[in-house]
Amino acid sequence: MSTSSPDPLDWLLRAPPGDDGIDRKALAGLFLDIARSVRPDLATGLAGAPATDIRLEQLRTLLMGHEIAVLARLSGILEDPEQLAAAVGRILPSAFARAQGDARLGQVLAPSLEKATQTSVRNDPHTLLNILYPLIVPAIRKSIGETIDKTFQSLNESLKYSLTLRGLAWRWEAWRTGVSFAEVVLRHTLVYQVEHVFLIHRHTGLLISHVAAENAATQDPQLVSSMLTAIQDFVRDSFSGAENQGVDTMRLGELTVWSEPGPIATLVAVIRGKPPEDLHETLGNALARIHAERHQALEDFDGDNADLADVEAELTECVALRQQRPQRQPFGFPWLALPIAVAVLLAVSAWGVRRWQEDRRWDDYIAQLRAQPGIVVTSTGRRDGKFMVTGLRDPLAIDPRQALGAVEINPADVVASWAPYQALDPVSVLRRLQASLDPPSSVALSIEGDRIKADGSAPAAWLERARAAGRVLPTGAPTLDLTAVRNLDAPADRRWDEYVARLRAQPGIVVTEAEQRDGKFLIAGLRDPLALDPQQALTEAAIDPAHVSAHWAPYQALDPQIVLRRLQATLTPPPSVRFAVAGDRIVAQGSAPSLWLERAHLAARSLPSGAPVFDLSAVRTLSDGAIGRLRDQIQARTIRFNHNDPLPAPGQGALIDALAGELKALETLAPIQHVVARVMLTGHSDSVGSGTFNLSLSLARAEAVRALLRKRGVDPDLLAVRGAGNLEPVDPTGTEAARAANRHVSFTVGLEERP
Amino acid sequence: MTATLQKKICMLGAFSVGKTSLVRRYVESVFSDTYLTTVGVKIDKKTVDLAGRAVNLILWDLAGEDDISALRLSYLRGAAGYVLVADGTRPATLDVAMSLRGRVEADYGPLPFVLLLNKNDLAGQWAIPDGDMDGLRTNGWWPRATSARTGEGVEEAFMDLAVRTVR
Repeated sequence: MSTSSPDPLDWLLRAPPGDDGIDRKALAGLFLDIARSVRPDLATGLAGAPATDIRLEQLRTLLMGHEIAVLARLSGILEDPEQLAAAVGRILPSAFARAQGDARLGQVLAPSLEKATQTSVRNDPHTLLNILYPLIVPAIRKSIGETIDKTFQSLNESLKYSLTLRGLAWRWEAWRTGVSFAEVVLRHTLVYQVEHVFLIHRHTGLLISHVAAENAATQDPQLVSSMLTAIQDFVRDSFSGAENQGVDTMRLGELTVWSEPGPIATLVAVIRGKPPEDLHETLGNALARIHAERHQALEDFDGDNADLADVEAELTECVALRQQRPQRQPFGFPWLALPIAVAVLLAVSAWGVRRWQEDRRWDDYIAQLRAQPGIVVTSTGRRDGKFMVTGLRDPLAIDPRQALGAVEINPADVVASWAPYQALDPVSVLRRLQASLDPPSSVALSIEGDRIKADGSAPAAWLERARAAGRVLPTGAPTLDLTAVRNLDAPADRRWDEYVARLRAQPGIVVTEAEQRDGKFLIAGLRDPLALDPQQALTEAAIDPAHVSAHWAPYQALDPQIVLRRLQATLTPPPSVRFAVAGDRIVAQGSAPSLWLERAHLAARSLPSGAPVFDLSAVRTLSDGAIGRLRDQIQARTIRFNHNDPLPAPGQGALIDALAGELKALETLAPIQHVVARVMLTGHSDSVGSGTFNLSLSLARAEAVRALLRKRGVDPDLLAVRGAGNLEPVDPTGTEAARAANRHVSFTVGLEERP
Repeated sequence: MTATLQKKICMLGAFSVGKTSLVRRYVESVFSDTYLTTVGVKIDKKTVDLAGRAVNLILWDLAGEDDISALRLSYLRGAAGYVLVADGTRPATLDVAMSLRGRVEADYGPLPFVLLLNKNDLAGQWAIPDGDMDGLRTNGWWPRATSARTGEGVEEAFMDLAVRTVR
């Protein structure tokens, strides 16, 4: 403090000679203060007066020492921002807690919070992402995953199963239990088990925790964990480039590896079977919980998982996830209903079978009726358990009722209505003629084309009646031909003349003598054994053989008809050959095996002079036709081989294909032409090597070609094989080209007449 | 699962210096070597005992590349240390190892590592001059001569690295 003069209070401060014990300084200050209180401007007026007076301080200290210290500390706190912040910080939580009821707090804070969030996002979006991750991810998963994946999955499964038997059973189950069909399908089809769960530290790839199902085989999980990370890195580096994206699904046979990435750790699940899509959500939620609860421990992870031992419990829950094929329920199946159902089923099917059989029998019956002459079925059907049939029936046609017995239909079940009519078909007309004419036993009526022909012999009266009946047949009906009926009432000599005339007209019979003497008939001549039997003709002429004496000398007729018969008997031509008489020649036509042709030519040459010429020029040899061309084609084929190789050389496939086609054509053609075809496959080798070796090699080549042909559908019975070794060379010169040509399989076709 | 201590360690070095041989003979291995050529990395494990506690060194054996720019350095992310391998009979591989170290340092900062000069069994062909070895030592690199064939120096090298990563 300054004590420089002139100080108005100096006097006061100056100590008197004798100490009176008064603190003058304090007293002076007191006065001064009192003066200041009275006149505040005094202080300025009193130049030199100390701005602060220590005494006042002392007085203050005396009066309010503690409060001053408190105030000083408080003002210190208020003035120092750091201290103030610390102080406010201490009470802020409880202040907020108390202010929660006040709506203004939220309004006041909102702008600042918004600004702070914006800044945070601008600086590093990951921070906020990490904070929100446990909240957002499950929510997003729920909304997107559930809607899209489940929809797709259930759609797929629904489509897949909706039309199968199992699908129908599941529809029934859905209807019975009131669950949606898609859910039933999922329950039955998605059989899976989570076998391993790895929690992997993303940054280092180190394993934080691993849990395996009881029965799951495993490699060292620490190594698997790092390898998974390495593969993720590899894929990310190689294909994607996008941060935080990697493989989320790997599939290996029955195993699916799902990777659920989190901000610090990745959850990898190894699942056997078909996991449902919502398993992603379950795993994702587990990962989010781990992140939320153990965030700090995860961030601090440096390879030591001692602090994170408790996440194992969370993983164990994931490993417990599975969906097993539902067990068949032991109760609930309506066993009692089973016999009833079976009985009903049997009854229904028995009735069905019986009805089907009845219908079949009825159809058979109607078909039989339709085939009958004199019956016309106009309509048929079934009404009130009875069969109905209506139509027209000739009275001479069969009785439709009788036909019912043959098809085992009860006549009582049939309502038939037949209108009578006169049928004009030959059979009905024949029946009518037979009924009305009543022909004698010597007359036979038969149908020949559109005529009804009578054969034999009959009395003149019957013949007359028959002619009259023939004339009155309605138009459209067949005619009655009576020309072949001999009149029994004609005189015996006239019948004899007719008989002799008939014999004279016969080829191979030469009548030299025919006489009538004393009521007896004499006849003599030559007869070729192949000609008509005169004795039989006698019976047909109604001449008593007892009145006839006949002498026939055998001879060889040269009549073309007889020669033809003889050639036919001796040569037995194949059905493909026809003989015919053309003037004085016998002409053979068609095609025949060469062997038969040779025989025929021999027979033609040895015919006696005067005999007709046997002309074989129109007969083709079988080998000349299609089959001959086939034979030539096949025989021209050759399959080449490389040295010492029993299999055809490369590039021969097309050739063998073509050959197989020709052989199959031969197979089909041979029976048509009445020949038996055989094809010999001969294997050949070149001359290099020993004889026995070449023999077996050549046989092996033939066998190989046969096997290849058989594989192409050629009947192996058609094919025979032999090995010729090097003994039948096509080119014996011994050059390389010759040796190559000799390594082959050749084909020989034999065609023989069918026995 | 019991508590374990794991450290990610990368094996780096030029082509055919014997990294894979070191790994194959002295560590646990379950994956085929073909991963090296396909994915470019193969994971193996070396367990060392550190004062009674087992430390699992998860070894990322990276495909050897003479062209170091082709090496996938992203595989080093999160590594606690690395093993640099060079071939004692080929001085050029030591240069590769040194430049690899430089690249790792540039990308990931200083990390503990050991430098192995492999093929020590081929003493007759040893081609690294003693002067160079001394030079490396003065840089604090402490190169170790190892042999994948005899196993010489291998255990000690991994132990050394384990100690430094855990510290």
